[in-house]
Amino acid sequence: MAEDTSRVAVDIGGTFTDLVAVDDGALALEKASTTPSNFADGVIDALEKCELDPGIIDQFVHGTTVVINAITERNGDDTALLTTEGFRDVLDITRANRPDMFNFQYQKPEPFVPRRHRWEVPERVDQSGDVLTPLDEDAVREAAREIRDAGFDTIAVSLLHSYQNPAHEQRVRDLVADVHPDAYVTLSHELTKEYREYERTNTAVLNSYVRPIADTYLDSLEGRLHDHAVDGNTYAMKSNAGTTSFEQARRRPVEMVESGPVGGVYGAARVGEQIGDPDVVSFDMGGTTAKTSLVQDGDVTIDTDYWLESSQRDEGYPLKIPVVDIVEIGAGGGSIAWVDQGGSINVGPQSSGADPGPACYGRGGTDPTVTDANLLTGRLNPDYFLGGEMALDTDAARDALEPLADEFGTSVREAAHGVLRVVNSNMANALKQVSLRRGHDPRDFVMVASGGAGPLHAATLGRELGVKETVVPRAPGQFSAWGMLLTDLRKDFARTNVGSFDADTAAEIDGIFADMETEARDAYAREDVSLDDLNLERTVDLRYAGQEHTVNTPVQAETVDASVVGETIERFHDRHEQTYNFRMDDAVEVVNLRLTAYAPMPKPEVSPVETDASPAAAVKSTRSVDFGTEGVHDTRVFERDALPTTEPIEGPAVIEEPACTTLVHPDQTVDVDALGNLHIS
Amino acid sequence: MQSETDTQAQTASVDPFTREVVTNALQSAAEEMFLNLGRTAKSSVIYETLDYACGITDAEANVVAQANGVPGFLGTLKFCVADAIEKFGRDGFDPGDVVLLNDYHGGTHLNDVAMVAPIFVDDELVGFTASKAHWTDVGGKDPGSWTTDATSVFQEGIQYPMVKLYEGGDRNDAVYDIVVANTRMPDVTRGDMQAQKSSMDVGAERVVDVFNRYGTDTVRQAVADEFDAGEQLVREEIQTLPNGTYTAEDYLDDDGVTDDPVHVEVEVTIRDETIELDYTGTDPATDGPINSPYAASVSDIRAFFQAITLPEAETNEGFFRPLEITIPEGTVLNATKPAPIGTDWEGSAMAADLPWQALAPHLPDRLSAGHFLSVCATIVGGHDERRDEDFLVVEPQPGGWGASPGKDGADVLVCSGDGDTLEMPVEVMETRFPLLFDQFALDTPQEAGHGEFRGGTGLVQDYRMYNASGGFITAGFGRSKFPPWGVEGGRDGDGNYIEIVRDGDGSVERHSNLTNHELGEDDVARLVTSAGGGWGDPFDRDPERVLEDYRDDYITRQTAREEYGVAITEAGELDAAATSSLREAGATPTDGEPNRGETQ
Repeated sequence: MAEDTSRVAVDIGGTFTDLVAVDDGALALEKASTTPSNFADGVIDALEKCELDPGIIDQFVHGTTVVINAITERNGDDTALLTTEGFRDVLDITRANRPDMFNFQYQKPEPFVPRRHRWEVPERVDQSGDVLTPLDEDAVREAAREIRDAGFDTIAVSLLHSYQNPAHEQRVRDLVADVHPDAYVTLSHELTKEYREYERTNTAVLNSYVRPIADTYLDSLEGRLHDHAVDGNTYAMKSNAGTTSFEQARRRPVEMVESGPVGGVYGAARVGEQIGDPDVVSFDMGGTTAKTSLVQDGDVTIDTDYWLESSQRDEGYPLKIPVVDIVEIGAGGGSIAWVDQGGSINVGPQSSGADPGPACYGRGGTDPTVTDANLLTGRLNPDYFLGGEMALDTDAARDALEPLADEFGTSVREAAHGVLRVVNSNMANALKQVSLRRGHDPRDFVMVASGGAGPLHAATLGRELGVKETVVPRAPGQFSAWGMLLTDLRKDFARTNVGSFDADTAAEIDGIFADMETEARDAYAREDVSLDDLNLERTVDLRYAGQEHTVNTPVQAETVDASVVGETIERFHDRHEQTYNFRMDDAVEVVNLRLTAYAPMPKPEVSPVETDASPAAAVKSTRSVDFGTEGVHDTRVFERDALPTTEPIEGPAVIEEPACTTLVHPDQTVDVDALGNLHIS
Repeated sequence: MQSETDTQAQTASVDPFTREVVTNALQSAAEEMFLNLGRTAKSSVIYETLDYACGITDAEANVVAQANGVPGFLGTLKFCVADAIEKFGRDGFDPGDVVLLNDYHGGTHLNDVAMVAPIFVDDELVGFTASKAHWTDVGGKDPGSWTTDATSVFQEGIQYPMVKLYEGGDRNDAVYDIVVANTRMPDVTRGDMQAQKSSMDVGAERVVDVFNRYGTDTVRQAVADEFDAGEQLVREEIQTLPNGTYTAEDYLDDDGVTDDPVHVEVEVTIRDETIELDYTGTDPATDGPINSPYAASVSDIRAFFQAITLPEAETNEGFFRPLEITIPEGTVLNATKPAPIGTDWEGSAMAADLPWQALAPHLPDRLSAGHFLSVCATIVGGHDERRDEDFLVVEPQPGGWGASPGKDGADVLVCSGDGDTLEMPVEVMETRFPLLFDQFALDTPQEAGHGEFRGGTGLVQDYRMYNASGGFITAGFGRSKFPPWGVEGGRDGDGNYIEIVRDGDGSVERHSNLTNHELGEDDVARLVTSAGGGWGDPFDRDPERVLEDYRDDYITRQTAREEYGVAITEAGELDAAATSSLREAGATPTDGEPNRGETQ
């Protein structure tokens, strides 16, 4: 939906706050330093630098790290938990697993609410929603008084099976409000209506924990924007790749936990649509991590099984909210190469970070990093890093890699290649995990590469994976903000309703979907969003009776009857077979019903630009680049903005722009389209 | 994947980067098998408990890559493949074959069903995929198959003695029908069998890709190099451990059939680059099912060995070359047919816990005090009136872990024999099975495991049948009479147990072994797991930490006073003066007593 509207997206990253705007069909890009003491300063700096007339901004879309930072740095607010009698310890029990299997001194993650800050109340609802023990209202009042008197301003409420019957949680809110009217109260069922008490409780707890900070931040930013004469609507980017009003974001801040990275995935989905290839593997590589996600037919992949701070050695903390399914690995430009206990070479997850950064930054870093390896193989230009703002120190890079070369008895150049091969193989495995391992054929997909380091590795990985083509969009370093420019309002609803999925239950399922639709419409109506264009998508999580895990399957109809159920089951069989290599004749069960409600927002469109020139004219220099097994080649170096759209460029080639470098292998060619995307095949 | 015939021929080494890329790709194939099986299986003990393992071996049964949810399977796949090769011969396999086994050759109880399938590249056998998973029911005298009172392996289910379930890609319907006819849960079994087979197909496909991509010689050499490098590193690591001979002895509570404790002992010798474990002196196999076959004991010992050497490394066959294990045949830790092996985890976990006891005081940076140890597995079943069908759920219970210097033990964590095993949420349990929980909580106030660093807390769960009839419970809770051990003056834990609270008269029965035990409509099953052992004298615990424990309801004021010598006022504040005099008044009553089992 392209309309005459102006939109600004601002994404706060670790180092820079990126701004992308479309004004009168032209793309405007700006960067300011991120200001951790008050993130709003950086946002306003970026707005001021870009000299956009604030009065014309209709929509301001914001991705922010304020939530994830509060969690990572543990500086949220002390939170009280109200829960069902007999179940306060779910936060300590967790799922009781030992991911670090051979560590006989394993320590579990510290709960965000210590045991002494949890209050139990007598009440009990069973798995079908029937009340077994009525809520003890006096006990709730007493607990609320204790919580108030102990100085808590933020309270999480999580009662057993509240996803099935929320009445007790709702009543708790009213009772607490009588006693402690100023408290922030989060009810678990309002964030998720799925079962699994530890996951849901932790979600409510983390929402409560960050709520005061997020509230203050968004309130202050709104004020600053207003002072800055930005009077358009303000939206926050959520982890489900949709946006929501600041008002809603303040109530459900935990939904912003992956606010930034999902912008990149959403952007990749939209690039795929622009170029007519809606099946996309997104690939975003920055300084510390690489992230990849799958986009099918233009839709990003969402799930509600998200774990914060989890790794092979730690359980982490669950969040049962819709988050774009991103596979993230510790592989970035700053990732450090090292030799492990087993004598094998590893790259990452430790990173030299922004400071001191790779050895070649000359800021005192001495560990060998991926960026150093790229420099030593001629892939990076020492004199054009950040557009030449920073000279790279080749000698420092060599010194950093020397010990590694000595350890394996190879040359520094060989070691540099080795580091690149290992990091590329790690990333290729992650890319295969989201595609091949889930039964997709990579040849049906295009890869959209972004992030500061993404374009440098993309052509290598695209070939390794065997994708149709690799696309490097414009402004790959600010791509998350670019993606945010194109988002719609989005709300996801889910209900756990375990039971048979067949003709007999079609009416019941239809009824639940109808309730969810009402909930969706009411929610948007309360925010004064027009319901005319509301786009509703229904899916069900299905499994063969007896299985636990499910396959999310679309329901392609507005009402569910016996024949729709039949079609959906057929689709499930196909998806199960595609993903897991087999199908069965067994009965099918439904676990969750899901409804996604989009409210499309008007979006500006970037005007295409054709550049007619000969490739030779865009060459700015030639340098020797080592392509490993493909040999060392004298390679033409192009300035990206000068590339013609009318004629392909034959590899090998290096395409430079201030924030990024794109590498093209000897047997590859590059086409540039009118929107500025590079197509490598 | 080094084969015998070309060992001499291959001298060309593979560069370390290629080695890494190749072994990563093989590991990635094993992990994909693992993921697929877990996401499609029908036994909750597979999909939640992750009681299964998937791996890839070379043509000589050496494991080149393995993914497991539980360390207890580390190494058993090797035995499965080796025995299959021995039976059929190297030339006895065709592409598309799948061998099924679960008897003594598999090396663990009959519920653990293994599949082994050859991998061919250009008509050449290059290796095997193998997997092993706990199926909910494989027949036998009681539902769920394993029991605590079987006196022969023949009571514990049907045995699949290495037969081909698939031949040349075609299913052998005779075998298939026998499998399905011999389980109480045919739907679940069919699902698990299909899921396991499909995941192996995917694994083989990926392995073939790796061979085609890098070439057979390169892959074999990369794997051989990886084995050698692994061995070398382990040897170097063992050199950092203190040379010496260390001993420990202990008892298994009983065998489930009689009440007699079962004596076990080990002598550990660390000598330069090798570790030797000798279990001579251990009691013979018992009449009841706590016996561990050799492979099961070796698996748990290997997990322990990895924990004290290179806990973060991805293991391969080379790692275990410097480990020598002697377990006399016919003992409870190396049982032979027809000894029953239903609760083999009791024996195998003890095989690891013994050297752990012997070495803990000497390796304080790697080992904790004793933990609740037993898998504490339960089988709960009956008739689900809501769905009008029988149900059966098999689960391990998590418990308290031991403390170590500077660290309190972890609360409620699965035992050393389990790993990335997920405890099922109450809401999922109640939705899926006709059960209702009254509590799911830390077992506090804690009355055991005290120490300068406190043992972790156990779990207490109360549940009852809900809209069900004919309810019963089977449970094997070892470490009930001989609780988890403390170190350096830290107190022992309190032991695992089950209580059945009868509604009729409110009477409480206490047990550690139950088989097919009735659970009436209003009876409550209370499962309680032990606290872990403490580390160091409780009187040395920082009073502030004692106060925190009190504020978090871990301990009572009385415990603070009597066990820790810390006085806490009625208002909940530390009384420093009273604490000083309590602590000066003397050491705790049991101070100075040696810890059980530590005989050196």
